[in-house]
Amino acid sequence: MSDIDIKRISYLAKLKLPLEKETFYANSLKDIIKWVDNLKEIDTSDVKPLHNVTESTESIRADEIKKDNSVDDVLNNAPERANNFFKVPKVVE
Amino acid sequence: MDKKIGVAELYSEYANKAKANLNNSYNYVIDDDENKLFIEQSQQRYASGDNLSLDGIPLGIKDLFCTKGIKTSASSKILSNFIPQYESFVTKQLLNSGSIFIGKNNCDEFAMGSSNETSHFGPVINPWRSKTSPDDDLVPGGSSGGSAAAVAEGSCVASMGTDTGGSIRQPASLCGIVGLKPTFGSCSRWGIVAFASSLDQAGPLTNCVEDAGHILNAINKHDFNDTTSSNHKREDYVSEIHEKMEGKIKIGIPSDYLIDVNQDILNQIENTKKVLSKHEIEFIDVKFTTTDFALSTYYIIAPAEASSNLARYDGIRFGVREDGESLDDIYLNSRTQGFGDEVTRRILIGTYVLSAGYYDAYYRQAQKVRRLIKDDFQRVFNEVDFILTPTTPNEAFKIGDKLDPISMYKNDIYTVPTSLAGLPGISIPSGLSSNGLPLGIQLIGNYFKEKQLLQLAALAEKELAFNE
Repeated sequence: MSDIDIKRISYLAKLKLPLEKETFYANSLKDIIKWVDNLKEIDTSDVKPLHNVTESTESIRADEIKKDNSVDDVLNNAPERANNFFKVPKVVE
Repeated sequence: MDKKIGVAELYSEYANKAKANLNNSYNYVIDDDENKLFIEQSQQRYASGDNLSLDGIPLGIKDLFCTKGIKTSASSKILSNFIPQYESFVTKQLLNSGSIFIGKNNCDEFAMGSSNETSHFGPVINPWRSKTSPDDDLVPGGSSGGSAAAVAEGSCVASMGTDTGGSIRQPASLCGIVGLKPTFGSCSRWGIVAFASSLDQAGPLTNCVEDAGHILNAINKHDFNDTTSSNHKREDYVSEIHEKMEGKIKIGIPSDYLIDVNQDILNQIENTKKVLSKHEIEFIDVKFTTTDFALSTYYIIAPAEASSNLARYDGIRFGVREDGESLDDIYLNSRTQGFGDEVTRRILIGTYVLSAGYYDAYYRQAQKVRRLIKDDFQRVFNEVDFILTPTTPNEAFKIGDKLDPISMYKNDIYTVPTSLAGLPGISIPSGLSSNGLPLGIQLIGNYFKEKQLLQLAALAEKELAFNE
């Protein structure tokens, strides 16, 4: 197993680990990945991946618009709002 | 002895206990005023004789179910201010059945944990104490630890939990109560804060098997809002629960589950075998070939799904926002400060196993092994009707005792395989350890065989006589 690039993984996960925690998580991740590495012993060349255990087909419903939420209800949980919008810092210069 | 009690009286008896356990088994206890109307309506239905199936029953709800207008935090800092504008499918069915919610039960953060110690609001103390060290505060198990402790301490009649890898059954076992995880796809996931969508399933924690049947009757329904909600025919899980089961029942005991198991745990299996043998039940030794790979498979698939599901917490639309100069800083700061250590760890594991170069070796391989695990169970179910295992490898342990994540993950060794296969499993209390702490057995049925599984569990419960 190659070394884990904790900076890259945390960047992909949109997390900014404090420096002192980087080693902690890197070691922890290394231990866990080593622990799950036993799966490589199994020959699965003829096995199909399983996504949905009951392998049931999805139900189809009529394509009708349902209005369960009001804009105000949804925006009530927004940390910051402006009129009917979520508010964020300026993105385009 | 029969005693008549009004809905309001019943409610306040439980609500007072719940208030005393706020910040322990409850993150939030609902104000009496907010429930007043529900209590009155319930009493009226009893008076007119058209009471509903769970009318007036005080329930605890794991703080992972969205409850309309009531704080829902998933025991996380990042959702600590979140008030859902809608009701989860499962809790809606419970309200439609007349039950009254006492409050929101503490749990592991985003249901990630096996001891309830990862909650942002602090651990839950198990109401049980060991004979040898009665001063030690013990964990209730997890992740539905608050839900299990609440039933055990008597602050609700029953509670709702969710189970991804054992999060209903394991705490039920450590708290001496009943915990049922239905077949994946039975009870809608809509409105449950998502952890691992191919594994998450709602289910009841109760004092007895029959109560689990009553709650299952209320919540086991098809829902168009959950694409994995099954179309199978629902049954009445209570009316025949105490009737004799048809035909000769065969129960498999997996010998590979009982290697290196302590005597207390072995005694539970031996004793269950003994008390059930007089009921024309045959016990057969079975062996799984995939047990050694179940935890590894789970700790790839569950974090992978979690890392995707938790991508939605960005501090923009809901939840706690941390300041930042740019949009990206807001994302980074909100997520880094909003998630606790275990959730961060699992997001990192999930991100790693899904990242370019590792996806096939880890995630795809785990999904393939998951099929082998499912096939392994189906092979065993060709020989037997049910499977009997311990629920946990040990009794409740001291808060703070298990700091290493892998030793914590091993708590779910008996419950994770069932979850990966999507099968229904129930934990019922079977006896006490030499330390005087409760232990449970797990009964596993085939897909959608909850009716028969509850019949067997009710029989085992009667014969084991734990509550007497």
